[in-house]
Amino acid sequence: MSVQYTPVLWNRNKIIYDAVLLIAIALYLYVYIRVAPGFEDVTKPIDGAVLRMRAFGSCAFLMLTMILCIGPLARLDRRFLPLLYNRRHFGVMTAGIAAVHANYVLGWYFNFSPTDRYVALLSSNTSYGQILGFPFEALGIGALLILFVLAATSHDFWLSFLGAPLWKALHMSIYFAYAAVVLHVALGALQGPGDPIITSVVTASVVLVCGLHFATGRMEAARERGEATARASLQEAGWVIAGEVDEIDEDCAKVVTLAEEERVAIFKYDGKLSAITNACAHQNGPLGEGKVLWGCITCPWHGYQYNLADGRAPEPFTEKISTYRLKLIGSTVLLDPKALPPGTHVEPVILGEGA
Amino acid sequence: MSWKQTKDAPFFVGYLNAVPKPLAVFALVFSLCFAGGMGLAALALSSTQNDPGNGGFQWGNRFEQAGLLELRPYPVFRVPGDGENAARTYMVSGQGKNGAFGPAEANAGTPVTLRGVPVNRGELTMIQVGNVEATEDGVGNFTPSEAVPLGRWKLAGEICDGKCYAGAMRPGQGLAHKACADLCITGGIPPVFVSTGPVEGRNFFLMADKDGNLLGDEIRDLLALYIELEGEVERLDDLLVFKADLSTARVLR
Repeated sequence: MSVQYTPVLWNRNKIIYDAVLLIAIALYLYVYIRVAPGFEDVTKPIDGAVLRMRAFGSCAFLMLTMILCIGPLARLDRRFLPLLYNRRHFGVMTAGIAAVHANYVLGWYFNFSPTDRYVALLSSNTSYGQILGFPFEALGIGALLILFVLAATSHDFWLSFLGAPLWKALHMSIYFAYAAVVLHVALGALQGPGDPIITSVVTASVVLVCGLHFATGRMEAARERGEATARASLQEAGWVIAGEVDEIDEDCAKVVTLAEEERVAIFKYDGKLSAITNACAHQNGPLGEGKVLWGCITCPWHGYQYNLADGRAPEPFTEKISTYRLKLIGSTVLLDPKALPPGTHVEPVILGEGA
Repeated sequence: MSWKQTKDAPFFVGYLNAVPKPLAVFALVFSLCFAGGMGLAALALSSTQNDPGNGGFQWGNRFEQAGLLELRPYPVFRVPGDGENAARTYMVSGQGKNGAFGPAEANAGTPVTLRGVPVNRGELTMIQVGNVEATEDGVGNFTPSEAVPLGRWKLAGEICDGKCYAGAMRPGQGLAHKACADLCITGGIPPVFVSTGPVEGRNFFLMADKDGNLLGDEIRDLLALYIELEGEVERLDDLLVFKADLSTARVLR
């Protein structure tokens, strides 16, 4: 959280995150370029430029695969949430590694010609009508452009400027980039003489990304079914049964799903209950999976905080989220499904005062 | 671990330096696995790359011989035989992705001394032209032999650019190299058909169209694919020329 925009709001965890990432990248490139060629079974060495373009290209592919795995991993197991915290740096580094790969391609395959290298890149293979021989470079260019746009707009300034829904939609184009990269590899590198290792690595990467997203989707669907009671119990008075007080841990929340995938987080804290929307104003993080720290709801993704009674970020921050009215009958929590405007104060329900 | 938050579960807040110990241990183990996995992936991917062949520039074996430059239809250099060696025909190219049409056209029919760098892969030698000078040394009465027809053949293989395939780039063939091959051939580098089966012991052929003329844009979609082609083959000293009938082209894979 910040009240002013700075290029990077560094903290110890971000520094450790970036350091681990840089070490992994450096190790990958060093082994690929310096160590592994000693184990190659080749008559003459592969050109250095080709070796480096393959090293950076494959590194970017694996990084992109990892980036896409972080989201579902964090949904399936909260211990992966620290990976999500600084994922934008992961993305920016991936765009940089991919750009180096592209630069080697331009400086090697499209160099040494009277034709300008950028013109040559777009004009030397135009067999768009065929699968084998398709200009797979175009797919790589498309993916790289998306990565550049996402890296350039990854800062919170753009999130605030574009608004969370548009920003989120824009950044979902990472999936188009990944699809383009997979096709780029499938129609290019994988069309060489049979190489089971690269084929296996690419296949395993795609299966991993798809499998994790599928598993997360199933988990979310099961969760929706488990919360169907709230939707099914809509009453004439306009209240829904949200559950029992005992279901909620102290300083934690129970998430209730209303119609049209709207989710509400009901927090129990200091002998009180308050309800707010489950979506963080920052990046739609699941607030109901966060905790109450220092009297504020704290988002599990990036630590954005909100007051429990009014959904406002503590001063000097300005974010606001919707609040909801609650009612307690015995030990049963009732929820008014009508969201109140963001920042509306709602008196917390005091436990022990139920009728 | 359930998505549902509990009171006792460790909770990570990025901007707080104090990370709960279970999460810190998990992150440490994951970091080691991630970095180690990246290193192993690099080793596996890099050490198993395909052999690009033995082609390459022969920088320590500069070429300097007297002979005649001809267009057949791409520039070739005809060198007379002597008592020990038979006459030879070399494919030639310019620097980078440029052909050698300029010096070949300027010196057509004139004996010259050609200096350059051989790019060699097996029996395929492409000379990258450095300097061409008129000469009379030893080739004053040299009349290159006519092409010897070897009949009509159906060949399976790949159209490459002769310079990269010879070893100017390693690797210098395959679909990943298609755009480069296109750029080279467009620039005037002779196209070469690399066949899976030999003709008179050779599995590479300088290409021409079925009438013996330069190939045009019609080969662009066929470049770097595994194809089957029919055409007349003829021998020019030690170099085989494949006059490909592109209407017979069939993609095999």
